[in-house]
Amino acid sequence: MRLPRFYAKKRGHRRTGSREWGVFGDGLFHGTLLVAGLCFGGLLVSGVAAPEWRINHEFRESRGTILAKGLARTAVADPPATVVTSWRPCLLVRYLADGAAHESWSRGSSADATPDREAALRRLNAWKLGDEITCWYDPSAPQTVVLQRGYSWWLWLLALLLPGALVLIGGSGLIRGLRAWGKSEEHRAASVGLSELLDPLAQPALAAPGYPAVPVWDDLVNSPGTILRYRLPIESPESWTLVGFGLFALLWNAVVIVLAVGAGLDLLGGRIDWWLFALLVPFLGVGIGGVVLFVRSLVFATAIGPTQLEISDHPLLPGRQYDVLLAQGGTGKIRSLTLSLEMEEQATFRQGTDTRTEHSVVWKQPVADFHDVSAAPYARFEARAVVEISPDAMHSFTSAHNAVRWRLVVRGTPERWPAFSRIFPVVVFPPNAEVLAPPPRLMASRDTARSTEVSW
Amino acid sequence: MVNKGADRPAAVPRVDVQFDRPHRQHEPRDQLAVRYRIEGCDGEHIRAIEHSVLWYTEGKGEEDLGVHFFQRITDRAMMPPAATAGAFSTPLPQSPLSYEGLIVKVRWCVRVRLFFEGARDFVSEHVFVLGRIPPARLPASRT
Repeated sequence: MRLPRFYAKKRGHRRTGSREWGVFGDGLFHGTLLVAGLCFGGLLVSGVAAPEWRINHEFRESRGTILAKGLARTAVADPPATVVTSWRPCLLVRYLADGAAHESWSRGSSADATPDREAALRRLNAWKLGDEITCWYDPSAPQTVVLQRGYSWWLWLLALLLPGALVLIGGSGLIRGLRAWGKSEEHRAASVGLSELLDPLAQPALAAPGYPAVPVWDDLVNSPGTILRYRLPIESPESWTLVGFGLFALLWNAVVIVLAVGAGLDLLGGRIDWWLFALLVPFLGVGIGGVVLFVRSLVFATAIGPTQLEISDHPLLPGRQYDVLLAQGGTGKIRSLTLSLEMEEQATFRQGTDTRTEHSVVWKQPVADFHDVSAAPYARFEARAVVEISPDAMHSFTSAHNAVRWRLVVRGTPERWPAFSRIFPVVVFPPNAEVLAPPPRLMASRDTARSTEVSW
Repeated sequence: MVNKGADRPAAVPRVDVQFDRPHRQHEPRDQLAVRYRIEGCDGEHIRAIEHSVLWYTEGKGEEDLGVHFFQRITDRAMMPPAATAGAFSTPLPQSPLSYEGLIVKVRWCVRVRLFFEGARDFVSEHVFVLGRIPPARLPASRT
C-alpha cells in the first residue's frame, strides 16, 4: 500500500493536483462545514430555541403576586481591557404551582437585558409591589417562573440560517464527493440529474438543441430590424468601463463623506484630529479624480451616438452570405468607421486563487470601411455590406471554461473624441446544419450523454 | 494512442483499438464503430470495462469534457479472461467539431477503461477527428 501522489500529470507538460488528495481535501473541507453547522445548530437549538419553545408550549399558567423587585447585572469580559455590563429587571413572585405555594425570582428572556441601566430601571418601575400578575412556571421544575411568553424571531432566524447554510454547503459537497467516489470522469460526466443540482456552477452553458456545445441564439434574434430581419444586440466594452468608474466614484466618495463628517464634527467640537485631516486630503483627491473619470466616460459614451447593426438571417451558416446594415447615429464627423467579422477564442483558468480569462482573436475579416462619415440627429449614417462565412469556419463553441465566439465589430475614430469599438455577437453553426426556429431558452438542451449500463 | 494507469501496475495492459474509417476521420452523424482487443492483463481480474466516446478541451483553459456515449460492462462473460475483444458503435453528433485553435482545442476520443479488482483502473485513449475544420493560424487576419 502506498499513499496517493500529491501531483498527477495532466496532458502536455502541466502538472495538476492529485485527484485522490483533491477528493480527500474536498471531503475534509465539506465534512468540517457539516460538523460545524450541526454543532452550531445544536447549540442554538438547545440553548435558545428549545427553552423558548418549552416556555410557550409546556409551561403552565398561574396567578402570582409581586413581592420584591430588583435589577440583575451581568458583566461579560470583552478583551483586551473592557467589561460589557447589561441590566435586566427581575421580580420575586409568589405563585401557586400544582396546589403548592412557591416564591421565586422570575427569569426574564435575554431580550430584556439592556446596557442602559436607566432604561432597565424605567422598565422595572412599571411593575408595582403587591400587584397580581399572570405568570408561567415549569411543571418539571416549579421554582422556575417567567412573566412573559413569546418568540425572539431573530434568534430563530439565526438558528435556522447560519447552521442551515453550513449544513447545506457541507452536506451537498459531501454527497457530491460520495457520488463521484470510485467513478471514472466519463461516468461522472455522463451522470446527469442530481449533479446539476449539487454543483450548478460546474455545469456547461446552455446548448442549442441537437447541437451540443453550440450556444443558444434566442437572445440574439428577439429584436426585429427596421430594414433587415434582425437587429443584433450590442456588447460595448465602454459601457462596462462606465459602470466600473461609476461604482468606484460612488463607493470611494461614500468613504470620503464618512471621513469628512467625522472631521467636521471634531472641528465643531473644538478638536482637530490632524491625522484624520491628513488622511482626508489624499482621499478627497482620489474621490474628485474618480468623479472626473466617470463624467468624462459618461460624456464620451453619450457623445458618439448609438451604433446599430441589422442582419438578414441568424444564426449564420458556413459557406453562406448575409446582408448587414450598419447605422451610426449622433452628431459630428467620424474620420473612419470599419466593420469586421472576428472569431475569438476564450479560455478561463485558475492561477493560484485567481480565476483568469484570456481572449485571443484568431480570425479577422474586414467587411466594410468608411471614411469621413457624418451623422446628424435626424439623419443617421446607413450603409449596407455583405458578410460571408468561410465554408470551413469553426462553429461557435461554448463549454464551462472555454469558448469560440464569433462577432461583428464596429470600430470608429471620431474627429474630436477617442476611438471606440462596439461588438455585436453572432452564432455560427457547424457546416450543413439544419437550423430550426430559435428555441425558447427554457427548452434549450444540455449536452446529454447517451449512457447505458450492461449487466447480466 | 495514450495508455495510462492510475497506479503503476505490475504488468501494463494493452488495448488495441480499430476504427471503421481510415485515418480516424469522421463526419458529423456518421456511425462510429470501434473494435478493441485487450492484452497483457497477466491473470489480473477485471471487474468492469467502460466504453466512452467523448470530446474534451485542451489549451490554456481548464479542461472541459462532454461525454457523447457511455457504456459500463460488468458481465464477466464479456471481459478477460473469458473474452479479450469487444466492440461498440454509436452515431456521432453534429457538434462540437474537432478544432485546433491557439488557446482552445477540441478533441474527440474513444476511451476504454479497465477496472481491476481492488481500486486500480487503466484507461486507453484513442483520438479521432470529427469534421474538417482547418487549424487556426496566426497572423489573425485571413482575407
